Amino acid sequence: MYATKQPSLRIKQADLKCKNGCGYFGNADWEGYCSKCYRNHMDKERQRKSNQSQHGDHSKATSFSKFEEKKRQQSDKKTKYFLPVFRKPSSLKETGRPEKYIDIRQMNPDADKLLAEFISAYGEWGEAVRKDFLKCVHSFTSKIIHELDFKSADELADIAQNYYNSYNNRLNNNTVYQNVTPDVRDKLLDFFERYSMVGLYTFLFCPPSTNDEDKDLSIQDRIRKLSWVNAHHLDCCISETSIEVRDLVYTAINDLLGMDSMKAPQEKLACVVRCCRSVVEVLQHCQGGPVSADEFLPALIFIVLKANPARLKSNMLYVTRFCYGARLMQGEAGYYFTNLCCAVSFIENLTAESLNMAQQEFEAYMSGEVTCVSAWESALVACEGMHQLCEHLSLLKGLSERMSAVKDDTQKLKDDMRKLKEEINDEVTSVLERTPLVIKPRKTIFPLTMEFLKSLPPLPEKPPIPDKGKEVEINQDVDTAPKFYQQNITLTQMGLSDNKPKLQLDITPCVNLPSASVVKPSLSTDFLSVPSPAADKSIESITPDDNSYLGLSKINYDIDFSDISAENSIIEDLGESRRSPTMSFTPDPFSPMGTGCPIMQSPLVPSAAEMPRVEVPPVRKNDFVLPFLEEIEKEDTKKETLLDKVEETPTICLPPPIKPTEYTGFSKQGSRIPSIPCNTGDVSSLNLQQSAGSSKDTN
Amino acid sequence: MSAGPYNYSYIFKYIIIGDMGVGKSCLLHQFTEKKFMADCPHTIGVEFGTRIIEVSGQKIKLQIWDTAGQERFRAVTRSYYRGAAGALMVYDITRRSTYNHLSSWLTDTRNLTNPSTVIFLIGNKCDLEGQRDVTYEEASKFAEENGLMFVEASAKTGDNVEEAFLETAKKIYQSIQDGRLDLNAAESGVQHKPSQPGGRPGSAAGGDQSGRDNCAC
Repeated sequence: MYATKQPSLRIKQADLKCKNGCGYFGNADWEGYCSKCYRNHMDKERQRKSNQSQHGDHSKATSFSKFEEKKRQQSDKKTKYFLPVFRKPSSLKETGRPEKYIDIRQMNPDADKLLAEFISAYGEWGEAVRKDFLKCVHSFTSKIIHELDFKSADELADIAQNYYNSYNNRLNNNTVYQNVTPDVRDKLLDFFERYSMVGLYTFLFCPPSTNDEDKDLSIQDRIRKLSWVNAHHLDCCISETSIEVRDLVYTAINDLLGMDSMKAPQEKLACVVRCCRSVVEVLQHCQGGPVSADEFLPALIFIVLKANPARLKSNMLYVTRFCYGARLMQGEAGYYFTNLCCAVSFIENLTAESLNMAQQEFEAYMSGEVTCVSAWESALVACEGMHQLCEHLSLLKGLSERMSAVKDDTQKLKDDMRKLKEEINDEVTSVLERTPLVIKPRKTIFPLTMEFLKSLPPLPEKPPIPDKGKEVEINQDVDTAPKFYQQNITLTQMGLSDNKPKLQLDITPCVNLPSASVVKPSLSTDFLSVPSPAADKSIESITPDDNSYLGLSKINYDIDFSDISAENSIIEDLGESRRSPTMSFTPDPFSPMGTGCPIMQSPLVPSAAEMPRVEVPPVRKNDFVLPFLEEIEKEDTKKETLLDKVEETPTICLPPPIKPTEYTGFSKQGSRIPSIPCNTGDVSSLNLQQSAGSSKDTN
Repeated sequence: MSAGPYNYSYIFKYIIIGDMGVGKSCLLHQFTEKKFMADCPHTIGVEFGTRIIEVSGQKIKLQIWDTAGQERFRAVTRSYYRGAAGALMVYDITRRSTYNHLSSWLTDTRNLTNPSTVIFLIGNKCDLEGQRDVTYEEASKFAEENGLMFVEASAKTGDNVEEAFLETAKKIYQSIQDGRLDLNAAESGVQHKPSQPGGRPGSAAGGDQSGRDNCAC
């Protein structure tokens, strides 16, 4: 239009003339026509438009109606789809409808199903009934679609109601339906509504020409804001915490929510009816008696508030507009739908007053200032908690089952292990019995002290092996200590009776004893004497050895113990003076030095200082060891032989025993072994001398 | 119900209004089930009831809508009134407050129904004579002044209950006969099925094809 004029700056004469070529000048405002031709043109145009709209040709029509809403244009395009229908509104009979069928099916996939349903339900009434029914449906739907863009929703509703009424009249008066029974006529009317509305649902539900959607959003928002309202606020007797009630309430809510998914108004109504029946059940459950409207409406409001159904307003308006009017005003469905309308309108107009609460409180709730944990919410939470609890319980059950299985297995395994252990123990003990294990370590240590071995004949190995092995096995318990003492004593006694040669023997047994427990006592007792100032004198002579290593071979101290009777006597005196403590200590001496020493030390010092040195070791010693001896004496009879043997064996290898004994001693003390050789040699010599001396002294 | 759903020529819609607790539901229950509601603990809901009665040889189906009586719902219960042919306005003779509220109920009814709607005043609980708070005379006078039909009834004993419903129906039917009630008006509250012997009585509102559940007692 304007485009024709704008590009050229110079306007030709022809351009100024009327486009119609009537000779008059045209005007751009008149689309290049002269005034007269423009009027004619517009008239024609208008006429064409009306024709087009009648034919549904909206593509051109819309170009004229520039100010139409976008939404409407969109819907125009939709309706354009059904062009063929409108071109032949009169020829809607059998032959003219193939296209229509396709259209209906395309806009509504349920149409086929409905048609099948219709045939199965009403097919018996003959082809004529079916044809007339479909004819009416199609005339109705096409009329609605035709008017869709030009009429408001309410006008469309009027059209629909008129069609319902006219079909109702047709049912009652047309000869086609002459043979149809009255109840089937009602059903046919229902089906008429359903069939048409399912097809028209997309156009009539929440139509763009209305503000239904805004209403939906506002009521949704409103209900959301009112989420704090509980049954108590509504004076409604729904007990929100009861499980059965909650289930029923859920049923009611689900029914109400189902309304949105239905297409036909009557289907939506059916949802409302189901919901309301559930509500009635809820109430009956809660109050245990018949329900009246006084209780019903608050309960329904409560349900609506808790359900907050999608597109609530759209649904209600759709039902109100396009449901057969008589049904809405009468019948159970009408009654319940009316109640729903009341409930919704109550929610919309809800004030502090209608909830019987103070305005301030109401506003605080509404603004979210005060959040109210309603029983309903907490019930939901509790329900959720319960649900989780149940889930967890079942989980725990499964776990405990598995656990018990694991336990059983564990027990089994334990038993097996115990058995195995026992077996192994048995095996080991039997092996131990069969083979004197104890001596073998000595062998391993030999390489370390090879120097000595080289210098010494291998004799010492043999004699102790059988003897000591057995002895250890026997004495490993408490016996070992007394044994040792006994040995010591016997030896010392022997040493006392015999001279140097016997003294050497005296060393060997105690040193030879492989078990640390046996060796240490001697040490401990010796050590006891070492720190004590009184004993210093005796120790002074040994101090060099002591300095080198405290854990020096027991031999030295054994010798001290047995031979340097003068010094040792102090301890024994102590033992005498405080017999009872020493008695209790006596087992201790056999325990590792660490434990034995500190205990004995402190008491020793003063007592030792006070006590005069008694130089009668043998007697004392017997006293000291007495408790053990008493026990041992019983065994002595058996062991004596062994002991004798023990004594005997070293005697055989008199020269070497010193060194092997040292090894054993060191082997017990582990890391100190390397330092052994040099010292031992010295010590042993010293010991020998000392022991000789001491033995002499004692003598 | 003994009568089949299509053996009637008219459908009348009634509403029962009145304060909470005046016995609206009990009246309804008494009328539809012929039993006192409190004696029927298994009755589920009686907020909606139907019964077919006979007036002047015409079978009429009565659909009775119970309504919530709370003051707070008064504003929103407007849609109850839509298309009601009869309104039963109930008060409790033992509670004066329920009687005092009648005028507001009456105003609502007058405003929200069509002029031909028959309004019937029922003073319920007349079995509780000892606790009477509203005299018969007083209520009767009120009814007369406002052009209402009036009866004292007892939902418990069933006294006058049937009568109230039937009288209302008669009055409505009379209005129809007189032509005061336009059957074609959208909200007349009456649906007429042109009764024609031979099975062409026309259509009724199809929504309620089955009567209300029978009392389980």
